[in-house]
Amino acid sequence: MKNQLKVLRAMRNWSQADLGEHLDVSRQAVNAIETGKYDPSLPLAFKIARLFDLPIEQIFDDEFEGGNDV
Amino acid sequence: MFDADEDVGGNGLRILWMILCGFGIVLLSGVITGFLSAHMEAGGSALKMTDYAILATLISVTLLLAFIIWKLFQRMKSIGEKASRREKTYNRFLIGSFLFGGVTGIALALTGSFDANETDLFATGAMSPMLAIIMSVSVGLIMPAVTFYWHKNVVDEQEEAAYRFGALIAMYAFWFIAPVWWFLWRGGMLPEVNGIALYFITIFVALIVWFWKKYL
Repeated sequence: MKNQLKVLRAMRNWSQADLGEHLDVSRQAVNAIETGKYDPSLPLAFKIARLFDLPIEQIFDDEFEGGNDV
Repeated sequence: MFDADEDVGGNGLRILWMILCGFGIVLLSGVITGFLSAHMEAGGSALKMTDYAILATLISVTLLLAFIIWKLFQRMKSIGEKASRREKTYNRFLIGSFLFGGVTGIALALTGSFDANETDLFATGAMSPMLAIIMSVSVGLIMPAVTFYWHKNVVDEQEEAAYRFGALIAMYAFWFIAPVWWFLWRGGMLPEVNGIALYFITIFVALIVWFWKKYL
């Protein structure tokens, strides 16, 4: 899943370790989410959204382009 | 914009190289010790120039590997000064485990409390009741308690997912390797199925997958 985490982090001038500290996860976890290797759980996604004060769908993009499937 | 985090990535390859260099150091230390022991057994006369050259090469390569580990560690550390509560606990746990394991190993070796064959990882002979009880309590009671705390309070969700995937693949490895080994044993092509070997294969598979999912 694509996401804006790297951009949002850069806007606050945070390193991956800084963001990890705010989310109480490791720097590896932040790196894995940013690079799309790991999709966060719903609770962690909400925590990220609250931290950046944005709706989840503005941070994470499931690349759904419409159609009949839900 | 240069992003140090992007440059460092997941640190997976760096850690892999550090592990390989560590194995290299252990191997070379064994070769150096073996070389000197063989020399002492042969009379222990003064070393020849070729002996010095061999020793110097082995020691140089060992030091080079140690230097590579140190450089890789510095590179990992350069952007990792800040750590979350979980990471700090994680690091304290790892250091504590290494210290406990190291001190226990050295204490056993120095006091000569147990026969070397007893404590050998792959030994299959008889074991003293005392050592059997110590090992059973460690593996059957202490380790489950520590593991429970580890998963509940220390690892984060990304690592937990890596553990879960590692466990799944290890379970399948066991399910497939055990019967294949059993069939080949019955066909006279392999020695009898060894439960301890299967146990270590399962752990090894879980570790490899965990490392891949956590760091690479």
